[in-house]
Amino acid sequence: MTLDIVTLEVIRHVLPAIANEMSYVLQRTSHNMMIYEVRDYCCGLLDVKGRLLAQNVGGVSHFVANLGDVIRDGLDRYGEGGFHRGDVLITNHQRVAGQHLNNVLIYTPCFEGERLFGFAATRAHWMDVGGLSTGFGGANALDPWMEGLQLDQIKLYEAGTRDEKVWRLIGDNVRFPDASMGDLQSQIAANRLAERRIEEILQRYGRTTVEQAIERIFDQTEASCRAVVAELPDGDYEAHSLFAGSPLDGNRPVEINVRVTIRGSDMTIDLTQCSPQRRAPINARTQAAPMIAYKALTTPAEPINEGAFRALKIEIQEGNYMMATYPAAMASWGRTLPTVVDTIFLALEPALRGRLPAAHMGVLGGPVVFFGNDPRTNQPFVTQSIEGGGWGGRPTGDGESASVSVCQGDVRNAPIEKMELRWPILVRRRELRLDSGGAGQFRGGLGVETEVEGLVEGHWSLTDMGREAYPPWGIEGGKPGATSASLMKLPGEDAFKPVNLVRHLVPAGTAAVIATAGGGGWGDPFHRYPELVRQDVVDGYVSIQSAAVDYGVVIDPETLEIDVAATSASRTPPRPKLR
Amino acid sequence: MLIVAVDIGGTFTDFLGYDTAGGRLFSSKAATTPAALERGICDCLEKAGVKAGTIDAFVHGSTIAINTVLERKGARTALVVTKGTRDVYKIGRGNRPDAYDIWFKRPEPLVPRHLTFEVEERLLATGEVHTALNPVQAESVAKRVSESGVEAVAVCFLHSWNNPVHESQMAVLLSSNPKIYCSISHEILREYGEYERISTTVLNSYIGPKVSGYLEGLERMLQNDGFGGKVWIMQSNGGVMSSSVARRLPVAMLESGPVGGFIAAARTGAALGYPNVIGFDMGGTTAKASPAPGGEPQISHGYYIGGYASGQPMMLPVVDTVEVGSGGGSIARVDHTGSLKVGPVSAGADPGPACYAKGGTEPTVTDANVVLGRIDPHRFLGGEMPLDVEAAGHAVKRSIARPLGLSVAEAAHAIIQIAVMNMSLAVRQVSTERGYDPRDFVMVSFGGAGPLHASEVARSLHIPLVVIPNFPGQFSASGMLMAEQRQDFVRTYYRRLDQADFEELARIFAEMEALARERIGHTDIRMQHFLEVRYAGQDFSLQVAVDGPLLGGRGSVGDAFQDLHQRRFGYHKAGSALEIVNARLAATAPPALRTLPAVPQCAGPTLLGTRAVIFQADAIDCPVYWRESLPPGERIEGPAVIQEYASTTLLFPQDRAEVTRTGELVIQVGDSE
Repeated sequence: MTLDIVTLEVIRHVLPAIANEMSYVLQRTSHNMMIYEVRDYCCGLLDVKGRLLAQNVGGVSHFVANLGDVIRDGLDRYGEGGFHRGDVLITNHQRVAGQHLNNVLIYTPCFEGERLFGFAATRAHWMDVGGLSTGFGGANALDPWMEGLQLDQIKLYEAGTRDEKVWRLIGDNVRFPDASMGDLQSQIAANRLAERRIEEILQRYGRTTVEQAIERIFDQTEASCRAVVAELPDGDYEAHSLFAGSPLDGNRPVEINVRVTIRGSDMTIDLTQCSPQRRAPINARTQAAPMIAYKALTTPAEPINEGAFRALKIEIQEGNYMMATYPAAMASWGRTLPTVVDTIFLALEPALRGRLPAAHMGVLGGPVVFFGNDPRTNQPFVTQSIEGGGWGGRPTGDGESASVSVCQGDVRNAPIEKMELRWPILVRRRELRLDSGGAGQFRGGLGVETEVEGLVEGHWSLTDMGREAYPPWGIEGGKPGATSASLMKLPGEDAFKPVNLVRHLVPAGTAAVIATAGGGGWGDPFHRYPELVRQDVVDGYVSIQSAAVDYGVVIDPETLEIDVAATSASRTPPRPKLR
Repeated sequence: MLIVAVDIGGTFTDFLGYDTAGGRLFSSKAATTPAALERGICDCLEKAGVKAGTIDAFVHGSTIAINTVLERKGARTALVVTKGTRDVYKIGRGNRPDAYDIWFKRPEPLVPRHLTFEVEERLLATGEVHTALNPVQAESVAKRVSESGVEAVAVCFLHSWNNPVHESQMAVLLSSNPKIYCSISHEILREYGEYERISTTVLNSYIGPKVSGYLEGLERMLQNDGFGGKVWIMQSNGGVMSSSVARRLPVAMLESGPVGGFIAAARTGAALGYPNVIGFDMGGTTAKASPAPGGEPQISHGYYIGGYASGQPMMLPVVDTVEVGSGGGSIARVDHTGSLKVGPVSAGADPGPACYAKGGTEPTVTDANVVLGRIDPHRFLGGEMPLDVEAAGHAVKRSIARPLGLSVAEAAHAIIQIAVMNMSLAVRQVSTERGYDPRDFVMVSFGGAGPLHASEVARSLHIPLVVIPNFPGQFSASGMLMAEQRQDFVRTYYRRLDQADFEELARIFAEMEALARERIGHTDIRMQHFLEVRYAGQDFSLQVAVDGPLLGGRGSVGDAFQDLHQRRFGYHKAGSALEIVNARLAATAPPALRTLPAVPQCAGPTLLGTRAVIFQADAIDCPVYWRESLPPGERIEGPAVIQEYASTTLLFPQDRAEVTRTGELVIQVGDSE
């Protein structure tokens, strides 16, 4: 069969459908909230060169298209002939994988008859991989050994036979073997499904046709991306931002310096001026941030494959904190990425002339991390929830409130009722933060404030999420959003205090507040329609005081009506519009 | 006894009546009249020559509930929640399903923040009272709600699924103003997950005043015309409820329209001896598929109105369907990379496909079918609407053939194949992706365009048999005639299986059964009991039937779960701890009518002539049959066309059809690839 336009469309749709079906199996059967709720995983199909054929939709975007490095490393080690039907490989080693060790990659070879065609891969966040701490990988681990179990391209199954010694070794070195080994089985089940589906496709259409279709799909995807970039004016665009450092590293802020070059339909994102590798666990080996920014700007609704990034050049040198040399601390590897994406957008602001939103919450959520032993059941527990924050105002309207970052897609907070059923806590409130949205003609979205009381003794990790000192910026004259905060109140205390703690033991009755940042505003707030400001006051999103100071709109506290004369006086003389 | 079903859709109002005494079926169709839906109903009755006074049972499905939500034309509604949770409804789950879309839109609450009130009260997950409801403060909230000028209110307190005490107290306080339509979360959905429960309860209040007003008006209108029977309302779960229940629970009728066809599909398959059915419905803008293994339509516990990414969650049971944007009106285009795309944009009914000659210029799936000779331009809708062949060919040529360097026929063929692929992916999602082997199923195909594409879709998935039912174009209405009364209940019961108290579970089931009897008011009720079970630590559960002796106890529940998990996901973990999440009850009372009678054969010529149809490359001269005059037992070999009033069935070369005793077409799908 040769490639015709219909077969091409079938293969274009079927490959992502397989990746999505893998995702369905993994999510439905997983044993830990990081997978079923946070969707901190990805499922992909790759060819024998490690090129990405398809990746599932949804989930965590900073898993974008980086499976290939690991597959190519495996090919280097075993050779194409070294893979057999029924093999299962496991790896999380930071030498190549470059993320925290909790992200465990399972891949299996796919065959057409006896010939290797490619690989099915799932990378998923395990609840525990040993090391200092459970959950989010030991936020103060200074090297990979403190972080946990390192697995470097190990064959867990050889030709369908499980290596029981390796299986036991892993099970014995994680804190929640039921959960982690359960997730491992889910990952294998998802891969096995993909192996069958791939073989069906190859039998039906023939390997040559499928391979031709794949090349065509890559080319078309690249062309779509180029068409968007070609519309932007050529130039060199720069932006800079700062992100909170770590007490382990003298609290020096991380410098994010971005240079984007556009020449015709080519884009280069240069990150070489960002901070060098740190002693703090923010290091990674990842190109995710520029890829996410590029994808969002070019073809956000299209499925991902290798072609989606062929027209993008990323400059990032060995030793950069995003290309850290092994061994480096990587427990919080993804922490700065949302801000890096925002900074790339900021650089491109002049090229897009106002067609971008202001900065968003900029971090991987407000994590709710409290763990210990539940005396009621005598079982260990780990609470996990990801709280969203504010997104930047847009040229078309206000930013969305309480939404997860640009690096997280279908990532959901844990319902209060579910948290309280499972864990010995009381969620006292989950609220939008008054006045947290950056003022603007189009207001930034609001951050969230979640208050959790531990009903038993336990450990809290409550750190600076990264934007306590560096608020999400406004653009086009908009004001910044409110900064994030982590607060705690011990029993007997009467007020919450800011804290920066990792695995800190506190008595029963201790309450914590996780407050996420608001989005920056878009445009001069004095250009916002007074009626919109009034509605925000009526709904309690903006205080009467902020309405007057930030927006120049005077509202009568009794009637909640606009004082037209006072508003007009306060907004005189009118400020010019930037655009 | 005279039973009638009226299905109000976006474009047409369909009517189907059955007189049990005479065994007679009659149908009619009229344009939907959005401004006054009752008028379309009157038109249908009149066309069919039915007097309201002669009707014993009136079964009704309508888009009024869903349209009220989609058009955001519901009541001004207030929301009353636990202190500290005022923003839970707005915050939702914080997710952005389209990961790379920085312009995403979150679901827009139906209640503004200033109409959301907090009450000082708190329960624990165990159901224990942590903070008793503050009667003074709650009273003042009730007063503020009453004075805020709202028409409706919803109440949802944390953990009310476990203990409704505070919600009940609040309901009493709010009842002091009987003009306000009130929905209480534990009466709507007794399941944990506060955001989804709030959303479902708010939806009920938001549409409550309008839908209950409509239902009252409808009954009054029928009664004024002498109707003395009962009105039944089709629900999203595929069963009917009395109109008095519907007025209290309008949120249960959101998917009232489309599900009827899937109920009828399951019933038709079973009557013909094929219990495993995939229902396939192709209309003007979308195609839908739904599985019914063992003759049981599958039920999902909720869906998102308007799509997962930005839709409102509604967690009551709904017949499990997968929908794709491929219908007769779906527009084909060549994108800037030179690939051919079909849908999801639809030309709709107005202007419609190019061949309608009503101003549409873009080529659609229907245009492609006209070009290929698969649709007869002179007999569309029984010849009431002649089609413009030239316009169809021109549209396909200009937008597809020319840019791709194909002949018009090749381009039309490619359009159909891509539409078929899209639809096959939907059918695949409800079969292989749910762990069912399509080879064990028959596909019952309906909707105006379903019979035309059924053979191709079935072939691509190795489904061996296709059934084209009677009245494929009014099939939803026929499902309504045959629908059971049905009420679903859920109670969260979160416990390790080995620690579950089966006596307590039995009590919970008994409470739900009592509610079912109250709502159904029927003695002959079938009670189906289910437990949602999962491995401890998992989040998604599988539903295990626990009928009979509860129930077979822990062991059999566990074994049944392990089997299900193996089948659905390809592995199980023997010996692992299991937990129960929810107890569910499905209560059904048998319908007046289980199957429709045989359709009488009409006199007239069987063979209408021949027509040139393109299946692959070259046109083949095919016989064209008139379905209504085909006698039972008649066998037809493909290639052939079988024409009827509102639909066309296409037999491919090597397909073989037989007319059943009751008039359905059963097609053995040939291997003509």
